[in-house]
Amino acid sequence: MLIINCPHCGPREESEFACGGEAHIARPLAENSISDAEFADYLFLRDNPKGLFLERWRHSAGCRRWFNIARDTVSHEIIEVYPMGALPRKKDALATHAASWRRDTAAEKAAERAAQKAQKPAQKPAQKPARQKAAAKKAPGKRGGK
Amino acid sequence: MADIMTGDAMLPGRSALAGRAGMNVAAPDGGKTGLRVQEVAHIGKINIRGTKSIAKVIWNHTGCDFPPANNMVSSAGARHIVWLGPDEALLLCEAGMERDLRRKISADLAGQHFAATNVTDALCVLKVEGPDVRAVLAKGCALDLHPGKFGPGQCAQTVLAHAGVTIIATDENCFLLICRTSFAPYTLDWLQDAALEFGFVFQG
Ligand SMILES: [Zn+2]
Repeated sequence: MLIINCPHCGPREESEFACGGEAHIARPLAENSISDAEFADYLFLRDNPKGLFLERWRHSAGCRRWFNIARDTVSHEIIEVYPMGALPRKKDALATHAASWRRDTAAEKAAERAAQKAQKPAQKPAQKPARQKAAAKKAPGKRGGK
Repeated sequence: MADIMTGDAMLPGRSALAGRAGMNVAAPDGGKTGLRVQEVAHIGKINIRGTKSIAKVIWNHTGCDFPPANNMVSSAGARHIVWLGPDEALLLCEAGMERDLRRKISADLAGQHFAATNVTDALCVLKVEGPDVRAVLAKGCALDLHPGKFGPGQCAQTVLAHAGVTIIATDENCFLLICRTSFAPYTLDWLQDAALEFGFVFQG
């Protein structure tokens, strides 16, 4: 039995938690820009290493919140508990993240592109209303043509 | 919801453990009963989700901190806010006040990001107390129940004999045990079994 240190509730028994498998799998939002085989990397392929592994866990019988754990799959030692959306701070755990084969997949690169694209409209808010107006003007004409 | 479907007519209410009786077991050594259990049928419950930004409104209606410190309960008179998570808490209030209270809180928070849900009938509250209450709970719960680690005012959502529960320590030898209504008979049966060696009394 592991004692897992929930970031919100403190140390609790493993039976209160659910393991959500490998962490840091970014969804390639622009699915159509990659091949089916590349999308399968994201959807089906999961690591099962001997040694340090970065995992998602959920305190399902407690606060029901998700978080990440860096765990050694041989000794079960928990090296670090860190929040969702963040990277580990411990050197070994960070190196494990960087060394993952997943960092080189087309699926992850597509996810990065989509994330960057999503940030762009926020950087140029002035352009957005203009585009919406243009779209609104075009729309009735399109419908009339059908 | 019966009142909505049938106008003014309400279906007769029935508490989760109504009709359960004859469960008492004398302490084998002839001494004091180790565990006394009572169903606290009359208590309103509202689940509240939201961040600290809604704290002022919650304070206005309860006089309690929102959210309370992690694993703690904040209390003001008959109203208590039980910490459930970083943006989630359970508001306990006087029986019969929960609908009105939920409506008022929701009205004052209109436009803000929050959720207030009346869960009064979804949950069953048991008051469990007695000299051996910690020993009984420890049989089915992995929490450190030493009084120095889990004292009055502390709470935890955890598992008691496979059933999800919220445990609140109200005194050194007194707890409120909140389980789902559908799990109440199971939880009561388990408590009786676990307390056989200490003596058991149930008051419905
Ligand atoms: Zn937790």
